[in-house]
Amino acid sequence: MLIEQSAYTNRWRRVSPAAKGTFSLCGMIAAYAAAAPTTACGVAAILCAVTVLGAGIPPVRYLRVAAPALLFLAVSVLSLAVSLKIGATAGDLSLHLARTELERVAHVCGRSLGGLAALLFLALTTPLSDIISLLRRCKLPDTLLDLMTLCYRTLFVLSETVHETITAQSARMGHATMTRSLRSLGGMIANLSVQVWQRSQALHLAALARNNDGALRFLEPDYPDSPRAISLAVISGLALIIMAVSLP
Amino acid sequence: MHIMEGFLPVKHAIGWSIASAPFVVFGLHSINKRIKEKPEQRMLLGVAAAFTFVLSALKMPSVTGSCSHPTGTGLGAVLFGPAAMAPIGAVVLLFQAILLAHGGITTLGANIFSMAVVGPFAAAAIYRTAKTARLPFGLSIFLAASLGDLLTYVTTSAQLALAFPDPAGGFTASFVKFATVFALTQIPLAISEGFLTVIVLNALARFNPQELQEMNVVTAREVQG
Repeated sequence: MLIEQSAYTNRWRRVSPAAKGTFSLCGMIAAYAAAAPTTACGVAAILCAVTVLGAGIPPVRYLRVAAPALLFLAVSVLSLAVSLKIGATAGDLSLHLARTELERVAHVCGRSLGGLAALLFLALTTPLSDIISLLRRCKLPDTLLDLMTLCYRTLFVLSETVHETITAQSARMGHATMTRSLRSLGGMIANLSVQVWQRSQALHLAALARNNDGALRFLEPDYPDSPRAISLAVISGLALIIMAVSLP
Repeated sequence: MHIMEGFLPVKHAIGWSIASAPFVVFGLHSINKRIKEKPEQRMLLGVAAAFTFVLSALKMPSVTGSCSHPTGTGLGAVLFGPAAMAPIGAVVLLFQAILLAHGGITTLGANIFSMAVVGPFAAAAIYRTAKTARLPFGLSIFLAASLGDLLTYVTTSAQLALAFPDPAGGFTASFVKFATVFALTQIPLAISEGFLTVIVLNALARFNPQELQEMNVVTAREVQG
């Protein structure tokens, strides 16, 4: 996963997750608060520059990560820009470019780009385990946090199993045609479903052997200079919001 | 099909979050009850969330010849129950937003409502109705998975149409617009996912009937059959 690789290898890996979360939240608020589409695009550009230049994320990787969301944006914006007129009789439909809608489309586009840049800032600079720790401090229910912890710690194991199975199936022409591919995929998911039971039983036994009787907790790393980083994030985040609100 | 970060107006983003919150809370309550009765369920549901995430990242051959990703809502609802799927879906959608940049934080509520509430509840209801009507096991699973998938995409189209009504035709025209655009990928995906879920559950029924019985997916009589 490209995002996960960047989250562990970027320059700001050792910066407090609370500071990065605060700045990302301020970025989202600024994207929503921007009065004009150009301002929202400006917010997106600043957040993008901070991620690429500050955290040292390669621009090509940034674009590859953003591509699926940008595709959704392109399709949706096209749907918004085109107006559909339904006539009185069945089948009487007409499509035309809604010029009055273009301003709204630009606004949605700018806001989405700003929001996406804020999300990518957090995702590309902060590993998910740090975000889970941050959510624990925000007092989210223990059961939900346990689900997240277990999901995060087992998804890479299951992904590895999936890759190995697909390689083995492909070597036996299991993905040569569409029908074979569907059948191979079905067999693999069925096998994986059973592994879910078996692995969860093994994990339960391992937890019992370590006297676990409740929530799953792990040691959290210390982040030096946290108060300084949080203050800096709050100040720069507020500056971003003020800029978004005050610019016409 | 996830609504991307920042796409929905603020009122809609908050409204959908409020609408999905009771389902997630109810799901957590039901999971807590299950964990009290059977403590091993904590691990099972956590690994099930990872399973759903991995499933959603798989490339599935679609009937149009292209590739799509399965949603796993139908399979999850049948295996783990629709109530548990709301918190599991919430976790998976949050992970997809952070690890894959699919969906978003502000649109999490809307995405949870369509994918982790409507999809699984519809799939489970269709599966139960089909079982009551004594339809064959394979057909029941196919209907549950594919219609659950279709309803998910219909809900997303409705969410987008509510947020952005067409200036000339209002909600209906906007809904038709979004539904038509997304139908190109979502209808073939729903059919493929229906077939895939049947293959998965047939393989499980053949090789692991005991596990299916323990999860109340099939009865002892069906296993013997």
